[in-house]
Amino acid sequence: MADNYEFEEEEFTTQFNGGTLRRVLGLLKPHWRWVIGFLITIAVTAVLDSVFTLLSKRMVDDAIIPGNTTVLYQTVAMYGSLVIVQAVLVLGFIFLAGILGERVQYDLRKKLFNHLQELSFSYFSRTPVGWIMSRVTSDSERIAQLVTWGMLDVTWAIISVTSSLIFMAIINWRLALVVLALIPILLVIAVWFKKRILVEYRNVRKLNSKITGEYNQNITGVRVVKALGREQANLDEFSVLASDMYRASFRAAWLSALFLPAVQIISAVAVGSIVFYGGLQASYGGLTIGGIQAFISYITFMMWPIQDLARVYADMQHAIASAERSFSLIDARPEVADRPGALDPGTICGDIEFDHVDFWYEEGKPVLRDFCLTVKAGETIALVGPTGGGKSTIVNLMCRFYEPKRGVIRIGGRDYTELKLHAIHSRLGVVLQTPHLFSGTIRENLRYGRLDATDEEIEEAAKLAGAHDFIITLDKGYDAEVGEGGNRLSVGQKQLISLARAVLARPEIFIMDEATSSVDTVTEALIQRGMEQLMQGRTTFVIAHRLSTIKRADRILVIENGGISEMGTHAELLRKRGHYYKLYTQQFRQERAVEYQELFGELAMVAAA
Amino acid sequence: MAPVVTPAPYDLKNAITANRLLGLWRMLTGYRWLYLAATTSLAIAALAKTSTYLLLRHFVDNVLGRTADLVVLALMGLGFVGLALLEGGFSFLSGRLASLTAEGIALRLRTYLYDHIQRLTFAYHDNMQTGELIQRSTSDVDAIRRFFADQAIGMGRIVLLFGINFAAIWRLNMTLALVSVIIIPLIVVMSIFFFKRVSKAYEKYQEQEATLSTVLQENLTGVRVVKAFARQGYEREKFERENWGKFQRGKQLLTMHALFWPTSDILCGLQMLLGFTVGALMAINGTITVGAYLAYAGLIIWLIFPMRNLGRLIVQTSTGMVSYGRVVEVLSQEREPLTEGSYRPADDVRGEIEFRNVSFGYQADSPVLQEISFHVRPGESVALLGATGSGKTTLVNLLPRFYEYTGGSLTLDGVELKEYPREYLRRQIGIVEQEPFLFSRTIRDNITYGVGRDVPDEEVEAAARAAAIHDVILSFPEGHKTLVGEKGVTLSGGQRQRVAIARTLLKNPRILILDDSTSSVDTETEAEIRSALERLMEGRTTFIIAHRIQSLMNADQIIVLEKGKIIQRGTHEELVAQEGFYRQIYDLQARIESELAVELSVSGNGHGETANERHPHGIDV
Repeated sequence: MADNYEFEEEEFTTQFNGGTLRRVLGLLKPHWRWVIGFLITIAVTAVLDSVFTLLSKRMVDDAIIPGNTTVLYQTVAMYGSLVIVQAVLVLGFIFLAGILGERVQYDLRKKLFNHLQELSFSYFSRTPVGWIMSRVTSDSERIAQLVTWGMLDVTWAIISVTSSLIFMAIINWRLALVVLALIPILLVIAVWFKKRILVEYRNVRKLNSKITGEYNQNITGVRVVKALGREQANLDEFSVLASDMYRASFRAAWLSALFLPAVQIISAVAVGSIVFYGGLQASYGGLTIGGIQAFISYITFMMWPIQDLARVYADMQHAIASAERSFSLIDARPEVADRPGALDPGTICGDIEFDHVDFWYEEGKPVLRDFCLTVKAGETIALVGPTGGGKSTIVNLMCRFYEPKRGVIRIGGRDYTELKLHAIHSRLGVVLQTPHLFSGTIRENLRYGRLDATDEEIEEAAKLAGAHDFIITLDKGYDAEVGEGGNRLSVGQKQLISLARAVLARPEIFIMDEATSSVDTVTEALIQRGMEQLMQGRTTFVIAHRLSTIKRADRILVIENGGISEMGTHAELLRKRGHYYKLYTQQFRQERAVEYQELFGELAMVAAA
Repeated sequence: MAPVVTPAPYDLKNAITANRLLGLWRMLTGYRWLYLAATTSLAIAALAKTSTYLLLRHFVDNVLGRTADLVVLALMGLGFVGLALLEGGFSFLSGRLASLTAEGIALRLRTYLYDHIQRLTFAYHDNMQTGELIQRSTSDVDAIRRFFADQAIGMGRIVLLFGINFAAIWRLNMTLALVSVIIIPLIVVMSIFFFKRVSKAYEKYQEQEATLSTVLQENLTGVRVVKAFARQGYEREKFERENWGKFQRGKQLLTMHALFWPTSDILCGLQMLLGFTVGALMAINGTITVGAYLAYAGLIIWLIFPMRNLGRLIVQTSTGMVSYGRVVEVLSQEREPLTEGSYRPADDVRGEIEFRNVSFGYQADSPVLQEISFHVRPGESVALLGATGSGKTTLVNLLPRFYEYTGGSLTLDGVELKEYPREYLRRQIGIVEQEPFLFSRTIRDNITYGVGRDVPDEEVEAAARAAAIHDVILSFPEGHKTLVGEKGVTLSGGQRQRVAIARTLLKNPRILILDDSTSSVDTETEAEIRSALERLMEGRTTFIIAHRIQSLMNADQIIVLEKGKIIQRGTHEELVAQEGFYRQIYDLQARIESELAVELSVSGNGHGETANERHPHGIDV
């Protein structure tokens, strides 16, 4: 939980955007029958609310005062049956609007998620995961709320106020006018309050995430705090923050507490004037006792629809902003997509050619410049060089996660943008530096490589990749849960699984980003063997960190500053005494030390440093 | 800056009790009068509401149609407004006082917990998860706040409304009062039952939401894998499954709501109708007046409908109590006494340290350190060498009394370490960790963190320069004011270490503990860090957790640890001259170099370069 602290951002748009609202309402289109259903049920419910008051008036005026029990029983019977009718309606609208709300949310999330699958890498590299998460989770919820409960509340409020006004006008039109005049005032005040309250609570939320952050810092850094004896200073600082929180929170709370009384007092002025006016009229018979009662209860209960209206109005701006952000995601177009007429050649075996390729992630910051490389089918290429030199970019381009900005990449002599993306991706085997596993069992993770693989094939792949041995030592073997992101397994184990996954995929091109983190020697040997399996007979690109991998390559490319600075076999490059030579000797010492660890323990590392 | 709010003084230690309700009552200490005032205001507001209806009775029975006197009528009208003002004013007051109470309690708890947690022992933090502690300090504290702000007072409101209105109806007519509450027990029972069920269904719904989020998050973070295997379709199906599952659970939840609310509507409606009928019959009979009937018709609403929410509040209260339990678990942990200690010199220590048969274990039966004895003169440096788990980190952790040695004697300047207050001791000791923790503040704040005085800019800069980090800092857009961490720049391990060195330079301690690993930095910065460290060590008693031959060679004393015991001790020259562990390590370095030379000559001459030939992994010792 602690990892996803509130993702802060602007919460309001200043302008009211009609286009967005229309688009939001468009989400209801497939379910218009449901919408009509809940609108009718809520409307009837609202009218019935006013009818009940009318019935109470009838009870007083026509039954109690004249002492007529027949009318009394009649009224009671009507009242009773309407209670039941209304209950059915309530059931209806909770069911219709509620389930529709869930449905709209479901639809929207589905749409967002499916669209996300289409988007290109560039989108994910410039958009934080947290941002996307908020769009799919909280924003879709807020939008669904608006079009269902929000719409329901507004309908109820409007019908309820209107029907009350009509009934009041029937009882006494002059007084009804007084009430009518009062409604805008009530609305303005209510909206003002609701907006203020919303702002205040937003403030509280912000401070709250600050406080959470402060706790997080102080707990994770508690050793430093203690070592530097900073407890008192920290407490003093925190007290300031906690005091801010106290003030903000208190302010939000008392504003909320003020809202209902304020509205109530205004309606009480109306009640007071009705009593006064009713008293005057009573002598002329203008307003009956039941009439006065009806007016009082109409006015008293009018504050609920008013406050609902105000709330929805205040929320709406929020929801529209949510909708704008969500729609911006839906409207994002993938930068890498199938061209019209793209084809699937059935295989992507063949020579690979980078022909004067330029690439940049950001305009003006070139990563690759005029990059040329031809790789024969079946060749193993090791890419080495400093971080940021462009190794990963070459691999990304090879996978067509990105496309060249200038120049052409050819597979089997054909510009790869003429091929279907699926034709390329489904024939790649990729093993990443930090292997990504999905929650679920080991078997499920392996099957990710080939969905129709049998259990036997999965096991076979695991054996080839050297993962089988450790898997069977686990409690449930292949059915062991790997945990979220695979966190129940060690890094080395995750690598073995992701190798096996790639083996199972039977790729035509194999791409590997070797892990830099050291794993124990046994696992290391297993990983090496698994890689060998995968390289056999396949065109292979390896971002290599280990000498054994590098030496096994047909060609070694030293990539620096967006180009190839050295290229050749291991022996050729060593003779050059250039960058590769330096890299190699350094790496040799370290690897040797790791090997000696088995004899000398980790102190061997001391010797190499 | 706005002033700091001080909550009512109360040592929350005293609030610890096994009885959760009693515990919550104790947490109210210092705010009880305020809370009582909130409750009283609530009662006054409820009384005013009830009086409105009684005034209506008076108006209908005694005024309406009997007088057209403007003054009387105006007074009546004003009476209603006045009562509304009274009701509104007091219900606002009650809300304000209740939130004053709740916020005060939350503030006190929050601040106390913050301080408490930073003063808990190392051993506690070793075993406690950060997320767990944060949750207790934030969401659990908030649950307790809501208990006072909403739940307790909300229940009070319902009970008061019920009591006062019931009494008012009782005064109108006893039979009527009894008739009005016949179905209420049923409503309350049903409401408790429903909200219990619904809160479970809601939990399930939320669980599914969490599952859905996980699927989404894994899809997003694993976007490379998804694309590389072209598994978009599979991912869509997976998401669809969970999304549909959530829709189904939402449906279940809503079905429960769709059944409860209309059913309770019917019950409440029938209860009201029953009251209306009986009341109307009484009014026709003349048992009660028309005005009394009208008052009754208003009062009964406030008698019945709030009862529906009682169940919700009762169910929610239990979360407040659970949270109390979780918070108290943290509160009941013992703090580390910082100022306790009989010996507190006015000046700095000289830095002479002697271990005599010191032993230590995290648990009594498994010693981590045994019979550790050695002597360090002021200003000397000691290098500690040993495998992970050999006890070298534990050994240095004894010096600032992060952990308490369990046997033997450990003296600083001839005085037993336990006699020094921890606070004093920690001011005398500086620690530079391998990958120091930096706070998400500015770089300047991080450098001056814990120095305990206002440091002029020049001094900060000088420290940064001495720590070889000044140029790096200047390369950032906002220099020393650049934020570190999530919202600012990310510093590499080596840069973090140099910030820690600058911090330690400013602190100027007499004793230094260094973790000298530079495994993650390139050679250029390594030299800079090395010279920065050398400047730092000058004139201070230094303990180095050694990862490099070089720092061992320069140390005045080398201690080789194995399984918590000293197996070798001496200077580099001494140790190299004798058979043993240290010599082996030293020899190893030479061996690797010679192996490299062989390897280079073989490869460089064009042999052993066949692409697919495995490199022999054999180790020949």
